[in-house]
This record gives sequence, structure tokens and C-alpha cells, in this order.
Amino acid sequence: MKKTILSLALVLATGLLFAQKKTTTSAIVSFDATTSLDKLPKADNKTVIAALDTKTGKLAFEATVKSFTFSNPKIQEHFNAANWMDSEKFPTTSFAGMITNLKDVKFNKDGVYKVTVKGDLTVHGITKPVETTGTVIVSGTSIKTESNFSIKLEDYGVSGPAIGAGKVSKEPMITVTAEF
Amino acid sequence: MLTTKINKPYKKWLIVIFVVLLAGGAVIWWLFNLRYEDTADVKADYTVNAIEFIQEFKQDMVAANKKYSERIIVVSGTVSAIEAADTTANIKMIDSSSAYIIFAFQQQHLNEAKQLKVGDRVSIKGSCSNGAFSNILETEYISFKRCAVNK
Repeated sequence: MKKTILSLALVLATGLLFAQKKTTTSAIVSFDATTSLDKLPKADNKTVIAALDTKTGKLAFEATVKSFTFSNPKIQEHFNAANWMDSEKFPTTSFAGMITNLKDVKFNKDGVYKVTVKGDLTVHGITKPVETTGTVIVSGTSIKTESNFSIKLEDYGVSGPAIGAGKVSKEPMITVTAEF
Repeated sequence: MLTTKINKPYKKWLIVIFVVLLAGGAVIWWLFNLRYEDTADVKADYTVNAIEFIQEFKQDMVAANKKYSERIIVVSGTVSAIEAADTTANIKMIDSSSAYIIFAFQQQHLNEAKQLKVGDRVSIKGSCSNGAFSNILETEYISFKRCAVNK
């Protein structure tokens, strides 16, 4: 009898644990490095892996660099090249962090909640701390997270003549959207 | 008479400069307006079965990436999941260990993805980005971009 109760409790606890960690493999990361001189360097990746733990506020993303899709093949080639993102050497970019004001978000109540996210962003093999604001939208069983922020390419060791010439923004805008 | 003699070499150079500028302009215009071909019209480099394809990546990720990355591949398999991504949908083929292939569709083929249902047998043609191990999901995955249903 004791064993049965223990097993049931374990199954329940496991179920709850899974319910708290939401994942998707279709989060979207958009990258916009356009300037007045060049409107081409922008791309999105719609096959990003994301996870949100509604109990702890842990938030994580993983994106395959080669899955960023540009409209122009030449720009895509440059983006993946050794002197840019070097996707052969650094095939993924990732983020691991936390919602710092988790107490302000009610995952069981529909609403739009402003959040602050802190964590480590790894791009081009370099990890830097980042802090940004975002939105959590709760609607029924759906949880949507959105955030816009910019990064300094030089912080991540990304440089090149196109950046110096003003054809690629030094601080591209990154938009991250995930629906769990 | 004197005027003609002075102008002749300048005229030559002006024509050369004009031709060079025109050619340079044409190259820049061509580069700026370069677009990906419709994947449906591109000849595939490989035709594979989804489960065997995943297995190949699981056995040797480095070798599989070397072989398939940025190649056009036709993958045949069963639709295991459909995930909304913005205004479109991504199609997934998943093996018994939860390793998966995910297909993001090309703009002109977005509707094809929306029409698929879980359980459908389908062939999808697309550009293989690469395979990797997800630390979040603790499984292997292979991403495709610019996909179309292979007819």
C-alpha cells in the first residue's frame, strides 16, 4: 500500500514538474542590422528551441546559426562566413537566464505582464551578461513571451569592412518571440 | 581642327569610364537583387528517409553535417507534429527517442505547411541547415529552411 502511494506521489510530482517547464521548437529570433545604406542585412530563424519554467522563471533559447534566413543568398553567405558568425565553428547561439520579477506574472490569469530578464547570451562563441525587458502574454493555456533588445557586435567579436562602411549596423536589433 | 585633336583622347577615356561604371552598376544591382530560387525547382542532392536520416546524425553528427549541411534534400516521412511559427507552421518528424527534424517553409510554400496534418505521409524538399544536440531538450535535432512539399 505504502509503495502504491509512493509511486502515485512520484507520478504526480513528475507531472507537475513537466507542467512547469514549457518548451517549443518553433520560437522566432529576428535579427535586423539594416542601415540607411543597406536594407538587406536582416533575417529570421523560426526553428529556435525555447524553454520557460513557470515556477522558477528560468528562460532559455538555442538557435542554429545556419537557420537564419536572409532573402539574399550573398548576405546569408557573408553572415555565416568565418569573419562574421563563423557558423562552422560556432553552429549555435544561446541564451540562459531568468525572469527577475516572476512574482509580478500570474501564469494562471490572462493578462499582459511586463518582465525583466537577466542572463547570459552566447554569440560567436562569446558569452556576455545581458539584461532586457520583455512581455509575457497569458491567454488561456497559451503563454507568449516577447522581447526586443540590441547587442554590440564588437562585444561578441564580430567585425568586418561592411560594419565599418556603415552597411551593417554596429548594434543590430534582436527580437525574440516564443509561444509555449 | 585643334579642338578635335584635344578632345579625342578624352572622349576615349570618357567612354571607358562610362562602360566601367555601367558594368559596376550592373554587378551591384545584380548582387542586391539576388534571390533564392524556388526550392521546388531546385534539383535535390539527396533523397532520404526521415528516421534513417536522424539515425545518421545520431551516429556521427560531424560527418552528417559535413555531408548534408546547406544541401537540398528530399526527406520522406510521417508528420509527427505541426507547430505554429508566427503566421506559418513548422512541420516536425520525430523518432522514438524524441530526436527530430524540423522544416521551416519558404514564403511561397507556406500554405502547403498549413494544409498538412499529423499522421500524413509526406516528402519535403528543403535546405538542411545542420544538426545539433539541444541542451534544453537533451536530444538531437536537424533544422531545415526554405522548404516545400515535394510533388
